[in-house]
Amino acid sequence: MTPQLDGDAVAEPNYDDEFDAIVVGAGLAGSAAALTMANRGLEVLMIERGSSPGAKNVFGGVCYTPTIRELTDFDGAPLERYVAERRFGMLSKSDETAVSISPGEWHEEPHNDSYTVLRGEFDEWFAEQAVEEGTTLVTSTTVTGLVRENGRIVGVETDRPDGTIRAPYVVLAEGGNSLVSESADLKATENRENVAVGVKEVLEFPQRDAVIEDRFRLTDDAGVSYHYFGEGAVGDAFGGGFIYTNDDTISVGVAYRIEDAVAADQSPEETLNAFKSHPAVAPLVRDARTVEYSAKTIPEGGAESIPDLVHDGAAIVGDAAGLVLNNGVHLEGTNMAVESGYHAGNAIARAADQGRVGADALQAYPDALERSFVVQNLERYAWMMDAVEADRDLLFEDLPRAFADAGTEYFRMDRTPKEAHAENAKRAVLDAVGGWTGAAKLALRYRKVVT
Amino acid sequence: MSAQPKTPQVDNDSMEDRLYTVKYNDPGDSHLDVKVSDICMQCDSYDCVRVCPANVWRESEEGVPHIAYENCLECSSCRYACSHDNVVWTYPETGAGVTFKHG
Repeated sequence: MTPQLDGDAVAEPNYDDEFDAIVVGAGLAGSAAALTMANRGLEVLMIERGSSPGAKNVFGGVCYTPTIRELTDFDGAPLERYVAERRFGMLSKSDETAVSISPGEWHEEPHNDSYTVLRGEFDEWFAEQAVEEGTTLVTSTTVTGLVRENGRIVGVETDRPDGTIRAPYVVLAEGGNSLVSESADLKATENRENVAVGVKEVLEFPQRDAVIEDRFRLTDDAGVSYHYFGEGAVGDAFGGGFIYTNDDTISVGVAYRIEDAVAADQSPEETLNAFKSHPAVAPLVRDARTVEYSAKTIPEGGAESIPDLVHDGAAIVGDAAGLVLNNGVHLEGTNMAVESGYHAGNAIARAADQGRVGADALQAYPDALERSFVVQNLERYAWMMDAVEADRDLLFEDLPRAFADAGTEYFRMDRTPKEAHAENAKRAVLDAVGGWTGAAKLALRYRKVVT
Repeated sequence: MSAQPKTPQVDNDSMEDRLYTVKYNDPGDSHLDVKVSDICMQCDSYDCVRVCPANVWRESEEGVPHIAYENCLECSSCRYACSHDNVVWTYPETGAGVTFKHG
């Protein structure tokens, strides 16, 4: 970083170009940044390598929308269903022990800002909001590198003829596979311990009407978010499975760390197949037809993996900045992508007003992000990856089995008094966690997940 | 401990059929490669092959994996998986490669 460059920002190089800012990638973070800057009067160019925004994007399925709703008119957004039930299922090989919550409040607008969406449609709609505010969107164009002068980022190289485009600010919203940021040494390549591979299918049920409503007990636009973990979900890997209901389809997938994927005796595709065949999952997904098969990587390094967010002339947002929260209970990324794009866009607009381009002029972005839920949440759970890794056998194999056994014992129907059943149930759990001492230590270790 | 419950049969598409569900625009050249062939020849873990969700990376007799790049879903997991950092990964040019309708 060379903040001293800031002083001579106007003198050189020549920014006599058409655009004030270039956004690399028209996903949620990129469009949020473009929309914010366009709203503040900047001329923005957004470059997307897919044939349309969202064409290269994959995610699990739930979009969290508090910031999007603030940024734009949300009425026309292509939402699938609102999340009316969240279920957390612990799977051993043949058992499920689950917690399900479906508060009445979630049926009322704005539905806890949690909606299933499909990215092809949704990202195209959100990019369109940025275009309506004046953003220029170019698709089927790949940014291949950054242009630097005197250490400062002053534009991008693309794979189009005469494809160099200069602008005072570049927002890197290229997603988790952030080749541009990495090749420009703005961030390091993440370790495979901190990256998950996800595979997903969108399934439809062509044989019968209302299958989704019947199987998931839904009316109208209500939908579900089901998360699964334990060895029945992804074997002994660190990760989980999911089912989300869309309007006419469901999204089913698994995601787990690449470090575990390379050690596993099955491929991600086989892991997905095994998850779909679990006794608790198969009745929900049977008789379906695959509409789409997709895969992606997810940066899960948390707070410690966030790179320097601002550089002279550039800011990094969304997945490219590693802004994904996965603590087993909360799986969030879309909300953080939008929030980061919004703060980056604001900081750039303010810097542009002052005619400054140095990293220090953009510092308002990381400062705002630090104060926002994004970094607050990531830091809150920063301890967790290591803890879960240390306890993985217990959390993913022993506990799911112990809870299933405890449930079996507790509700056992025979001629033995219930006191004995309760004692057996208690012992099943205590044996798994190492007695009362172990249970207390475990509760203490993970208290911050729920408190 | 527990008995195997009656589980309905779930029919999964083959990899080939799964890959047919996405649009693929062939850029003509592979956007994937290995940096140094010798590293692959000495590699015995084949992490690229093990992690790939689309059967792009395949073990081959020459020791350097065969790369069926036209299967690629552009997830980039091979790039992280290779413990020798020996994967060349570039974005397919001008919008080529995979296109997801739903994502």
